[in-house]
Amino acid sequence: MKIQLKIRRFNPETDKKPSWGKYEVEVEPTDRVLDALHYVKWYQDGTLTLRRSCAHGICGSDAVRINGRNRLACKVLIKDVGRKITVEPILGLPVVKDLVVDMQPFMDHYRSVMPYLINDEPPPVTERHQSIEERERFDDTTKCILCAACTTSCPSFWTMGQYVGPAAIVQAHRFIFDSRDRAGRERLNILAASDGVWRCRTIYNCTDACPRDIQVTQAIAEVKKEMLLNGL
Amino acid sequence: MYRGRHVGYLEGLRYKGQENMLAWVLHRITGLGILILVGTHVIAAFFLNAIGDNISTTITTIYESKPMQVFVYFCVLYHALNGLRLIVEDLWPPLLRYHRELLWFQWLVFLPVFGLPAALMIVSLWSGGA
Repeated sequence: MKIQLKIRRFNPETDKKPSWGKYEVEVEPTDRVLDALHYVKWYQDGTLTLRRSCAHGICGSDAVRINGRNRLACKVLIKDVGRKITVEPILGLPVVKDLVVDMQPFMDHYRSVMPYLINDEPPPVTERHQSIEERERFDDTTKCILCAACTTSCPSFWTMGQYVGPAAIVQAHRFIFDSRDRAGRERLNILAASDGVWRCRTIYNCTDACPRDIQVTQAIAEVKKEMLLNGL
Repeated sequence: MYRGRHVGYLEGLRYKGQENMLAWVLHRITGLGILILVGTHVIAAFFLNAIGDNISTTITTIYESKPMQVFVYFCVLYHALNGLRLIVEDLWPPLLRYHRELLWFQWLVFLPVFGLPAALMIVSLWSGGA
């Protein structure tokens, strides 16, 4: 089948404003949007710039807006989005070129919540034990692949780049509710700041955008509730 | 600290969020509607005390008119119900898995509670009421 692909192009070295590149591509309905982008890049216009690595929904590097919604290009099938497909960079991060954005601000927010296990207690002889229930408490938020689809779909982040964003809160949730971690209160203090969790307006774009089906808004609400229970 | 790439209103509204994004946009619009109502009340009271009652009467006539009352009723009721839904969701996070159902329930309450009085007000306006 033949599809029409409309891609938002922008080269900061030569362009003042973004423009649209239009391409016709022959694909199978079961191909992915990433395959169509590859076809354009490899056979029609080598200047098209996009980011992808594993191409199998694990590395999270090809998050783009497909027909107006944040998705991973490697996980969306052509048959699910129709014959006219619009591809744009994700919103709220500086565009480096075409579909590639600068992920540094996103990673800065990620680092700000200390996304690693903190426990200064002497390690036991074997491992730090955890029950099935304790592990299940944060199971959902371990699935995050840092693609930024959630954070860049959030209107609160669009209007205020200082907001840590859903992805950073998901990462904080993963450690706040880990029974082995001892820095939960520190993370809650970080998220209690004005740029923290209370910027969330429960809009649900993040949950809809997450390619790993993480219940992002629920995780944010759980962090909010934990703050209230801790008197923050 | 990163302050964000400017995402304009139109570009933001082009994002195809689902029903909850619409609920959020309506929450903002109705909040502004309530602000306008309260603002006109305050301005009318100011003019009544400071200048005389001519301007005050004009402003009062506007916000007491039936179309304005329907608009204000829409704003207050939607804003209140949507706010209550968000409070419920914040207090019981597991309910967030059923956010669509909760939103539909909100509309189920909103439509008759708004629709009936609004219809009566509009009918009374058509039949020559003030």
